[in-house]
Amino acid sequence: MQHDVERSIDVSTLGPPEPLVLTLAAAEQLQAGEYLRMRHRMKPCLLYDELARRDYGHDTRRTVDGMCEVFIWRRGDAAAATAARQAANALAPWTDA
Amino acid sequence: MRPSTVLLSLEQTPPLAAPLRFFLTAPLFGVAAALLAMWIGPGHMGSRWQPGVLAFTHLLTLGYLAMVMFGALFQLLPVLVGVRLRWPLPIARAIHLLLVSGTLLLVTAFLSDADEWFVFAAVVLTLALGAFILVIGHALWNACSVHDTVCAMKLAVTSLAVTLLLGLLLVLAQVGSDFAPRDLLIDLHLAWGLLGWVGLLLAGVAYQVVPMFQITAEYAPRLRRWLPWAVLLLLIVWSLSFLHLPRLAWLPGVGLAAAFMVFAVVTLQLQRRRLRRLPDVTVDFWYVGLLSLLGAALLWLVHQVAPQLIHPQLFHLWWGALVLVGAGGALISGMLYKIVPFLIWLHLNNRMQEAGKWQGDIPTMRQVIAERHARRHLRLHVAATLLLLFGLAWPQLMFYPALLVLAVAYGQQLWNLLAAARLYREILNGL
Repeated sequence: MQHDVERSIDVSTLGPPEPLVLTLAAAEQLQAGEYLRMRHRMKPCLLYDELARRDYGHDTRRTVDGMCEVFIWRRGDAAAATAARQAANALAPWTDA
Repeated sequence: MRPSTVLLSLEQTPPLAAPLRFFLTAPLFGVAAALLAMWIGPGHMGSRWQPGVLAFTHLLTLGYLAMVMFGALFQLLPVLVGVRLRWPLPIARAIHLLLVSGTLLLVTAFLSDADEWFVFAAVVLTLALGAFILVIGHALWNACSVHDTVCAMKLAVTSLAVTLLLGLLLVLAQVGSDFAPRDLLIDLHLAWGLLGWVGLLLAGVAYQVVPMFQITAEYAPRLRRWLPWAVLLLLIVWSLSFLHLPRLAWLPGVGLAAAFMVFAVVTLQLQRRRLRRLPDVTVDFWYVGLLSLLGAALLWLVHQVAPQLIHPQLFHLWWGALVLVGAGGALISGMLYKIVPFLIWLHLNNRMQEAGKWQGDIPTMRQVIAERHARRHLRLHVAATLLLLFGLAWPQLMFYPALLVLAVAYGQQLWNLLAAARLYREILNGL
């Protein structure tokens, strides 16, 4: 059931502006109840203002191999937010170490 | 997969004209430096104390390195650190004008050896650098971001303030004050300017730009955090020992050489393990720059251990060439060939969307500056660096060819950047 509502995108081998552009484009494609799981090699510092402007919620986590994963959902979509947070909780919170 | 076009917020991004004026001016000063040296001739460019060498050096340190770094900070602070600068365009225009004028006045002062020109230059450069330090320093100290890049930038700007102060003391010494011996002040000014201001800023910016644009893993957190502080503390200890215990100054000096060698080796390792291993001319520029940095550090270490191997005057000139031209020029060019296309893409993307053109051909980053033109600059840069090292040792043979190639290298860079600006203007006019 988790996988049915999760859309994923891996931008970890891409250079600017592709990670930002592809992530925003993928977020626009989200259906009701769905969230986006974005994987990147670093914290996407340019992404957050854009997500806020477009009214998306987000949660940033660190994987065991040190990569960054950002869980993104439309604000107001409670089901997507719940599913995203549940998936995110499996990973450690991101710290600017 | 072609990236789709989406409207990105430009709230954090200053107008393109703010950094672009600095980036386009810098190679002009590079060309000027090379032509000036040719005009002065090898007979008056054999020692770092000669006016021609001082003029050449400051055309590169102020006219090229500082010029690019000022422009980059105007752009990078809002985007990477999240700090909005107030009135970025008027402030950038004013600082740019003052920096250009101040550099030209200082060069005139060195060549004419007239006290009044030194005083004019000091006033104008104090306004330029002072305004920059105040504006950027204020923004940095109010930044919410705790990224290690912010810390490195703060320490770099602090080093710039020290460099400026030492420069003013040198002007006082020049016009007759007995405040401090000129020879001591010059070495302090040089160290704080090149290792503190240039070195720390390049390292701090590299923490973000290398992983972001060169598709590498991030620098290790401990290195990111401690390297800038280590460099600053070593600079302070070196300065104090240089003044009061000169026989022990080599110790913190070795520490400084080691710090920059560690930075160079770690960066080379990150680049060797890039996640996407496509040919990339900007990575090649960084290979050249980092190898030059290692070369300069090793040269300094060899000179400490066996000073009889290299004539002192030649050591200083070689070290300067490796740091200013080999390392500084290559590292900065590698950054510019990523930052400029990215900025142009960002601004074009948004202007097109605002004009209601949702489908369109925005050039990719690789199309803004053609890889083959950037690679031509790289080849010229490598040739110029090598010829310059030979030319300093054998001026009768290589002096003029070295400087001619150096002038052509900077000219190629200017051509590449102008082509990018022209492309931006053409597409904008077509909207």
